[in-house]
Amino acid sequence: MNNSSIIRRRIVRQLREVIDPELGVNIVDLGLVYNILFGDDKVIVEYTTTTPGCPMRRYLQQQIEEALKSVEEVDEYETNLVWEPDWSVDMIDGEVEFFAHPPPRTQMS
Amino acid sequence: MTSPKVSTYVLVILLFVAGIGLLSGLYSGLVRLGFLAGTSGGISPLAHGPLMINGFLGTLIGLERAAALEKKWSYLAPVLLGISTILVLAGFTVPAKLLFILGSFFLLATMLYLYNMQPVAHHLIMALGAGTLLIGNILFLFDTPIFNLVAWWAGFPLLTIFGERLELNRIMRPPQRAQHLFLALIILWTAAITFTHINRPIGWTIASVSLIAQAGWLFKYDVARRTIKSVKWTRYSAISLLTGYGWLVLAGFFSLWQGFPTAGPLYDALLHMIFVGFVFSMIFAHASVIIPSLSGKLVPYHQYFYLPLLLLHGFLLIRVIGDIVWLPVIRSIGSYGNVLAILLFLGGIIFQLLRVSARKKITNKGM
Repeated sequence: MNNSSIIRRRIVRQLREVIDPELGVNIVDLGLVYNILFGDDKVIVEYTTTTPGCPMRRYLQQQIEEALKSVEEVDEYETNLVWEPDWSVDMIDGEVEFFAHPPPRTQMS
Repeated sequence: MTSPKVSTYVLVILLFVAGIGLLSGLYSGLVRLGFLAGTSGGISPLAHGPLMINGFLGTLIGLERAAALEKKWSYLAPVLLGISTILVLAGFTVPAKLLFILGSFFLLATMLYLYNMQPVAHHLIMALGAGTLLIGNILFLFDTPIFNLVAWWAGFPLLTIFGERLELNRIMRPPQRAQHLFLALIILWTAAITFTHINRPIGWTIASVSLIAQAGWLFKYDVARRTIKSVKWTRYSAISLLTGYGWLVLAGFFSLWQGFPTAGPLYDALLHMIFVGFVFSMIFAHASVIIPSLSGKLVPYHQYFYLPLLLLHGFLLIRVIGDIVWLPVIRSIGSYGNVLAILLFLGGIIFQLLRVSARKKITNKGM
């Protein structure tokens, strides 16, 4: 296992702490995180919101940045909001049980 | 790191301006009931509706959409509607009316832009909502009596909220046919409102039946039926949503019973069932999401928030009874109680945000 896959798992773990307040489920299991890319010297997280009309984008960006900051190995990062492909309910992890408390988390792969 | 194009401070300032729209709108409502009667100056009682619809709801909803789109031009809607509040308060009626139109025009442009990005039913419904606000504001400029344009103003929060609920309720995976039915009911409602200008009783009867059906749809398909079994804000939000839908049903049946009254107590009863019973329930339901969206701060839950919710519905019931049987004292008690409920809710939100902020400062000092 190379170094980047370990860092990716740590990032995913932190991103699972970011909860969409409206749905009460973390953004990874909701399928809102599209990509975690490793550039030359920075990590790029591509994410979306459930609809372009959703005002949560700023809050989610702030939370994703906090999550990235908390991963020791990540020095430089960027968050990109993308609209393609459109998010759909089919992107939600099949294990997600909505509105369970505390918010559910699927097993890390 | 990618930074938002517009500073969060700007959003918070606009949120504050929407708050001024709300507070001055509430004050104007009280003046309408005779509060501080005989004193000179202050806010005109006629400003109650325009301030609540444009100054408060227009600024707030425009701000939500602008924060979603994050295009500088999309902030024109909340900025113009926010400025219109100041103009209303300063007594510049005609410039304020022009800004209502401009602000709602840019809100419609924002919604059409979103629809163009993603041509789906919920964006279309929200664009229709912005369109109804624009039509209402154009009629208002030409001094159309409020009772002849108020349905267009009501369409703005109604359709905006319906669009938002349809979007969220995708997670319930309603059948395609059910989604089409919801859209058809909303188009029927809008057509019926248009028809009220030709035949008021027939148009309003169709609109009322459609409204009851829309509320029925929401009872059947809204995720609130599931989330009511949850806890904290999620449960609170579900209770607020379902009681709000209940007021829509009552408003629909009241309309079938009394028709579409012109200015007077029955008219007031009907409007407040929609604007307080439904719209403010929705605001209470969504506050825990709206605030972090715009300010970046989560509002910690507290069961205290059930107090303003209970007062809102309880006093509205008193107010509506006071209107129907025409007992001005009862009507006033209900109205004052509604203002109190809204202020208690707002105060609770501000208190919780300040509490978290103070705690953080103490924690940071201790580090």
